[in-house]
Amino acid sequence: MRSLRIGFLLGFRQIQRANFWTTSLIIFVMMLTFLNLIAVSGVLVGLIAGAEVAVREKSIGDIIISANDDQERILETETFIRELEAFPEVVEYSVRYESGGLLEANYRERRDLTGERDVANIRVTGIDPLNEEAMTGLSTEVIEGDYLVPGEEGYILLGALYTEEYASNFGDIFETVSGVGPGDTVRLSNGKVSKEFIIKGIVQSKVDDVSLNSYIPDREFRRLFNRIDRNADQIVIRVSNPNKNSEVKEAMVASGLNDLAKIQTYEEGVPKFLTDIKNTFDVLGSFIGSIGLIVASITIFIIIFINALSRRQQIGILKGIGIDRTAIEIAYVLQAAFYALAGSALGALITYGFLVGYFQENPINFPFSDGILVAEPISTLYRFITLFFITLLAGFIPAWIIVKQNTLNSILGRK
Amino acid sequence: MDIIKAKNIHRKFGTGELEFHILKGIDVTVEEGEFVAIMGKSGAGKSTLMYQLSVLDEPTEGEIIVNGIDVKKLNEKESTAFRLNTLGYVFQNYALVPDLSAEENVMLPLLMRGYLWSESKKMARTAIDGVGLEGKYNNLPAELSGGEQQRVSIARAVAGKPKILFADEPTANLDTASGTQVVDLITKLNREDGQTVVMVTHEREYAVDCDRVLHMEDGLVTMIETLK
Repeated sequence: MRSLRIGFLLGFRQIQRANFWTTSLIIFVMMLTFLNLIAVSGVLVGLIAGAEVAVREKSIGDIIISANDDQERILETETFIRELEAFPEVVEYSVRYESGGLLEANYRERRDLTGERDVANIRVTGIDPLNEEAMTGLSTEVIEGDYLVPGEEGYILLGALYTEEYASNFGDIFETVSGVGPGDTVRLSNGKVSKEFIIKGIVQSKVDDVSLNSYIPDREFRRLFNRIDRNADQIVIRVSNPNKNSEVKEAMVASGLNDLAKIQTYEEGVPKFLTDIKNTFDVLGSFIGSIGLIVASITIFIIIFINALSRRQQIGILKGIGIDRTAIEIAYVLQAAFYALAGSALGALITYGFLVGYFQENPINFPFSDGILVAEPISTLYRFITLFFITLLAGFIPAWIIVKQNTLNSILGRK
Repeated sequence: MDIIKAKNIHRKFGTGELEFHILKGIDVTVEEGEFVAIMGKSGAGKSTLMYQLSVLDEPTEGEIIVNGIDVKKLNEKESTAFRLNTLGYVFQNYALVPDLSAEENVMLPLLMRGYLWSESKKMARTAIDGVGLEGKYNNLPAELSGGEQQRVSIARAVAGKPKILFADEPTANLDTASGTQVVDLITKLNREDGQTVVMVTHEREYAVDCDRVLHMEDGLVTMIETLK
C-alpha cells in the first residue's frame, strides 16, 4: 500500500511535469495503435458485414421461407401467405418462384442455322414486382432501362452478369449472351416451352443473387414453368424489428407453419461462406492488429527504458534513501498505463464519435460489398484490455531492469 | 554508546590483475550524538568507507554493526527498510527528485515509512522551516539555488529523525557561502538535537566543528584527530 502510494506520487508527477509535446507524441502513437487494432480488423470484418447487410436488404430479408428438406416447394403457399399476413411483425414479404432456364439472344439475326447459338443457362425468378420492390427495392438495382411494371407482361429484368458487356471483367466464369440491352428481344426456354421477352432493364448489385438472376412476373413464370399448384420456392420476409426475427420465427413455428416449409432466420439462412469469410477476416484483422500491438509495446518499452535509464542515478538515490523497489516500478508502470489509457480513450473517441458513423454514411466501395467499419463494443473492450496489459508489461520490464541494478552503482553512475 | 562499530573493513573491486583494494582493514566506531568527519585526498577511500557504514555497499571483509544490527546479514529488502528507518543521507549532488516539489521530496521517505499524507506534510514543512526555507514548500528543485537544494536534501534526511545522518561531501557543488551555511546547519542539528553525523569532506574548514576527524590515506585511517 505504501509502495502504491509512493509509486502513484512519483508516476503522477513525472507525467505532470513531462514535456507536453513528448507526451502528446507518445499518446498519438498509442492512439494510432488502438485505431490499428480496431480499424484494420473492423474494416476487414466490415467488408463482409457490408456484404451481409446487402444480402439481408437485397436478397433474403430477416426471415427466409423455403421448402422443407423432403419437399420441392413450399406447401400450400397461398395458405402460408394468408397465415403470414396475420403476423403483425411482418412488414413486407415477397414470394419467389425459381427455376433454371435457357436464355437465347440474337437469334433473329442469326443467318447460319448450323452456327453456334448465343445462349446462356440462367436463373429465373418469378416475382410480384410490387412486393419485391417493397421488400428489396429491386428497382434501385436497375442500371439500364426500367423496372417491371405491375400487370405488364412479356418483359424481363436481366442480371448484369448474364450480359457479356458487364461480365467481361470476370473472364469466362459466367454464361452470357452478347450485345443485349433494354428493348432487345430474347427467348427464354424451359425444355421445349419457350417465350419471347423484351429486356426491360439490366440489374446489377453487389449481391450476386441479384446480378446473377433474371426476373419475370410471377404469372408468366408459372405459365412458362408449369407451376399450376402455385407453390413457391421461397418467401422472404422483413419484420418490424430485425433484431427480434428469431422471436417471429418461433411464433411461426408455434403456429405450425413449419409443417409447410422450412423457416429460418437471416442468421440461419445466410450463406455459410459469408460467416466463414467473416471469421477468417476477423482472425486476419487481429493478426495484422497484433503487429501494431507489438510495435506499440516496443515503443513503450523504449520510452520507459530511456526514461528510467536517464533517471538511473535518481532511482539509485531513491533506493538509497529507503524507497522500495516496487514503488519505483509502479511509477513507471503508471506512466505506461497513462499512455495506454489516454491513447485508447482518444482512439475510442475517434472510432465511435467519427469513424463508425462516417463509414456507415460513406461505405467503402468494394466490388462485392459496401464496406463499413465494424467495431463492436465488446470486442473493442477485449482489444483495449489486451493493449492495456501489454503496455503495462512493456512499461514494467524496462523499469524492472533498471531498478534491480545495484543501488550504489546506480547512484555513482557505475556499470 | 557506540552507534557504529566497524571492524577490519576491507573493500575490493574487480578480480585478478584488475583487483583494486580500496579499504585495507579499517576499524571505526562512532558514538551516539557524535559528529565525525572523514577527510582525505581524492582516492583515499573516504566515500567508500562511508558507503560501507551507511549500508549502501557491503564490505568484502569485516563486520559492521549499526544501531545494534549486523548489517552484513541484511538482504536487499531489509537493507532498504533499515536505511529508511534508521539512516538519513545527504549526497553531494543534492539528489532531489526533479518532478517533486521541495515539500514532496521531504515527504517521500515519510510516506514510505507509513505516515499519513497530512502527517508527512506537517513533518516536511517543519523540517523545511528548520533549514530556513520557509515558504518554499511548493518550489521545484529547479526553482531553487544549489545551496537551497542541498538544504532541502538535509530536510529530507532529518525529517524522519534518523539515528545517523550521513553526508557525502555535501558542500562539493556549492560556493563557499552556501557550503558554510550547509555545514552550519548540519553542525546545528548535531549540537542542538544531538543528531549523530558522519560527514565526508576534503575541506578542512568544514570539519572544524566536528568532534573527531578520521584522516584517511590509501585505504587506511592514518590518524584520528579529536577536536572536542
